[in-house]
This record gives sequence, structure tokens and C-alpha cells, in this order.
Amino acid sequence: MPGKGLLIVRQRSLIAITAALAAGALTLTACGSRDDDGGSDSGSEGTTVVIGVDAPLTGDLSALGLGIKNSVDLAAKTANKEKTVEGITFKVEALDDQAQPSSGQQNATKFVADKDVLGVVGPLNSSVAESMQKVFDDAKLTEVSPANTNPALTQGTKWNGGEKARPYKSYFRTATTDAIQGPFAAQYVFNDAKKKKVYVIDDKKTYGAGLAATFTDEFKKLGGKVVGTQHIDPDTKDFSAVATQVKSSGADVVYYGGEYPQAGPLSKQIKAAGAKIPLVGGDGIYSADFIKLSGASGTGDLATSVGAPVEDLPSAKEFVANYKSAGYKEAYEAYGGYSYDSGWAIIEAVKKVVEDNDGKLPDDARAKVTEAMQNVSFDGVTGKVSFDEFGDATNKQLTVYSVEGGDWKAVKSGTYTG
Amino acid sequence: MEFCARHRRAVLASAAAAVLCAGGGYLFATRPHAEPPNPVPYPSQVLDVRYLGEEGPRTGTPEGSFTFAVRVTAGSGPTVTVLRISQPYSGLSLTSVPKPPFRTKKGFGHKIVVTMNVTECANTPRNAGLPFLDVTLRNTRAIEDHSYILGERYAHDFAEALQVACGNELSSLAKQENAAGITAARSAGSHYVDRTNRP
Repeated sequence: MPGKGLLIVRQRSLIAITAALAAGALTLTACGSRDDDGGSDSGSEGTTVVIGVDAPLTGDLSALGLGIKNSVDLAAKTANKEKTVEGITFKVEALDDQAQPSSGQQNATKFVADKDVLGVVGPLNSSVAESMQKVFDDAKLTEVSPANTNPALTQGTKWNGGEKARPYKSYFRTATTDAIQGPFAAQYVFNDAKKKKVYVIDDKKTYGAGLAATFTDEFKKLGGKVVGTQHIDPDTKDFSAVATQVKSSGADVVYYGGEYPQAGPLSKQIKAAGAKIPLVGGDGIYSADFIKLSGASGTGDLATSVGAPVEDLPSAKEFVANYKSAGYKEAYEAYGGYSYDSGWAIIEAVKKVVEDNDGKLPDDARAKVTEAMQNVSFDGVTGKVSFDEFGDATNKQLTVYSVEGGDWKAVKSGTYTG
Repeated sequence: MEFCARHRRAVLASAAAAVLCAGGGYLFATRPHAEPPNPVPYPSQVLDVRYLGEEGPRTGTPEGSFTFAVRVTAGSGPTVTVLRISQPYSGLSLTSVPKPPFRTKKGFGHKIVVTMNVTECANTPRNAGLPFLDVTLRNTRAIEDHSYILGERYAHDFAEALQVACGNELSSLAKQENAAGITAARSAGSHYVDRTNRP
């Protein structure tokens, strides 16, 4: 029976080949799934680098602060998963500044004391940044804010007189400044919205007062009239007195320099006083919480914010999808894309330093990371990310949003190319 | 023996088929899914407009007009067509060479010469800090209006040109307004600047 013997041999060979193929296939697919399941802490061997986050994680502004924290966390997880820096595992440590300069300064001191911290993302508020800059700079610890817009933070206090001087080499930001945001808003309000008489209100804080000033300056240059100015106390929510003043001023628009916890009730109370005119603000009011606080009468209110709408950017598609799948409870809000890019800028700087030092962190890693930040350049969520000689973002886009149908809707975008 | 051999053959064949089916099914189910292609970017995301500087007046343009050049460069993505170039001030009109619509070539810097004519001095910006140039753009994704803020050098040249064209009228207008007390409200600009950095 030689034929039968041959058949058995053939059958055995077929089984062996099938088994080998199946085993090989299963091995390959197992390899593939391992990549998919890789968590943020993969690469446990090697060095841990901490990226600090300082933002208001509690209180009125926590919606923005938590969006910042989550977005930086996503950047670190992505870098760990993709092993962006060989031998380095990134870890995020977030501290709550409650939007208070004194808390921010304490947090800065804590970050400086932790030798594993090689970069910090934050803060949200320009006034908080002022209290942190020197602490970080003395320690050569790099700081990247996704949200600070006050021009003086990068260009010095005499920026408006044409004497720009960078006060701290360790401070960078991915958001554009109020030197552009205020005039951008004024141009839109005067030329597009055709409003000629403005009542300007601010909260007396670094961000709010600074933004109101740059808006006012440009609005007047365009030929607009400032029919009244007033400051509010951000610790109260009763703005009935100023609302009455707005009504009697004959203004056809209100500009508010400040943030949404006050802007929302202010808008509502101005309308309730009988002045059916839009309230316009900056990125500090561009939050879903403003719409909740201002109520139905806030329809038609306007806000400018830094950058193009994240949802419109092809470069942000992956960020939006990954943020969603990461399961964060809070929305990424106005600064999510900028926060991710701020975190990623630190990661890129660490990568450069490690690569230049034979794959290891040097002893003076903080100083080297700060140096490397100046030359960081990559395609981020919000577009090309790099910094100019002042530490300001080179990508300077802005968008006007209007409250329509209970949501913010982009109505005009602009790019500064000067 | 014959029966056992036949039986074993069937079992082995069935087992092999089952392994193949299972392996194939698993591989099919876990095959890498092709990523959907990235959407085409909005035209403003790939178009750069930069101020080059003042140009000599074009033949036939009225006295007092402001002629300048910008460089328009398109980056990645499909072709961007510039449908319209405009400016937001009602006292000015604008023409350009080449005249829109025109298509941009990827990576190539197109020089566009723009001329602004004053039609009504009262409705021009006296000294705009960051004046816009508005463009309407089109690619396969969208038709989009976008403002380009050309910066301080453009603002300076623009303001100077307006001063030459409307100097007397603008000065007298400002005097009339001041006399009427229209701008009598406190000077918010100077007031705020003093404490910009004091939280």
C-alpha cells in the first residue's frame, strides 16, 4: 500500500503546515493586539519625567482647568504608548491653583522642588502666571501656557510703547496674545457687527483689564466711541448697578474683559435691565458655562478665542478622537488643543535633550530642556507649533464665535501674518 | 483498519478545516482597518498671505490711492482659489492685480498688487492698529471668508497713506467730535494700560 502511506504523510504535512500557519497567525495577531492595548505607563523601565500641570482644578474656572489637565495627560499617555522618547516614561502631576496668584506661586515652588519635573504646562490665568514666572525662571524650569494672553508676560511691561523685552527665557505660550485678540475683536465689532458705541467693563485683573485696554485702543482708532467704562468686583454676582448704567449710556454693545463666571450673569442682568445689546468678550468667556449662566437672552453674545475651531482642523481629528476614547469626564474646552500642544512641546524638548546626550538625561536637564524649547517645531493639534524670540507662539489665529441655538458658533476667523 | 483509517482521515480533515476557518475568521475579524483619509483642510489653514510693502502707484489710479503688494502662498492639499479680496471699511474701495478669481499653485509665492482708493474720508479708519485684508477662498472642502491681519508694518503704511489722502478732512472731523464731547468718556485706553500688570 505505498499510495496509502503517501496519503498519510501528505495529511500529516498538511496538518503540520495548517497548525504552523494557525500558530503563526495567532502569534502575529497577538503581537498586533499588544500594541492596541498598550497603556500610558508602558515602558516602565528607564527614567520617569514629570510634566507638571498648574490650572484651576476647582472653583468657577475648573471647566477650563480640567480640560487643560486632561489634554496634557493625553499627550503624556500618547508619548508613552508610542515610545516617543526612548527610555523615558512621562508622568503628569497636576496642582490646583484655584485661579489665585498666591496658590500658583506655591505650586511653582512645589514643582521646582521635585527634581523629576522637567516642564510645566499652565497656568490658565495671566495674573497667576505673573506670580510663577520668576520662580520657574530661577530654577531654569520651562513653563508653557496654553491660555495666557497678556502681552507683558512675554514682551515686558513696555510692550505697548514699542519697547518689547522678554522678561523670562523659561516662559513660553501656545496661545496668541491680547495685543492681537483685542484689536481683532474691535475690528469685528466695528466693521462687521457695525457697532459704534461701546460700554467697556473689566474685572480689574491682569487678563481682563489688559484685554479691555487693547480692545478699547483699537475701537477708538477705528472711529468708535467709548460711552462708558466700569469695573466690577469678580467676587460678586450682582451687577445690577452697572447694568443700569449700561442701559442709560445708549451703548449699542458691551465689551467685557474678564471670565465667564462673571460674564454670564453680567450679560443676563444687562439684558434684564432693558439693554438688548450683545456682550462681547475674549477667550475667557468662550466656554459652554457662559451660555448656561447667561441664559436664553445671551443669544447673539460674542466671544473671540485663540486659534481656529479645533473641530475644523484636520490636525486635531486624532486628538478629538483620542480624547473621546480616553474617557475623560470633562470636555477639553477652549484650550484643549493648545494644552496638548504645550505638553507635546515639552516632550519634544526632552526628546532633543536625551538624543543629544547619548540617550540619557544630562545632569542639567532642566536648563537644557528650556534651551531646547526655543527651537521646538512640530505639527501639533492646532497647526505648526514653534516659538518666536519672545516665547510667543508663531501660529497666531483667532476666531469670533457667536451664541446661537444654545451653542457657540464660529462666525469669522483671522490669521495674524505680520 | 480500513474503517479506522477512513475515520481518522475525516477527523483530521475536519480539524484542519476548523483550524483554518477559525484562524481565517480571527484574522479577518482582527485585520487592521484602513484609517479613513484625513479630511481636506479648510482653505484658510493652508493659505498664507504676507505683506511685502508699498508699491508705486499703478497707472490710472486716482491721486491718494494706496498701492501695496502681498505674497499669497498655498501649502499642502488641493488647489485653493482666491475668489475675492476685500477690505472692511466703507470709505474705501479695493482692486487687485491679478483680479480674482485666480488659482494658487502649491508652494509658489504669488505676488498680488492691491490698490485701495478713498471714496469717503469720514468712513476710513484713522489709525487702525491691526487692519484686516479679507479674502474669500475656495477648495474642495469649502468656500470660506477669512481675515488676514498683515501686521504693524502694513498698519503703519496704511495709516500714513490715509493721512496723505484725507489728512485735512480727518483732522477736522476729529476736532468736531471732540468739540461735541462725543468722546468725552474717560480715556479707557490710557487708564487701563497703567495697570495692565497689576492683578
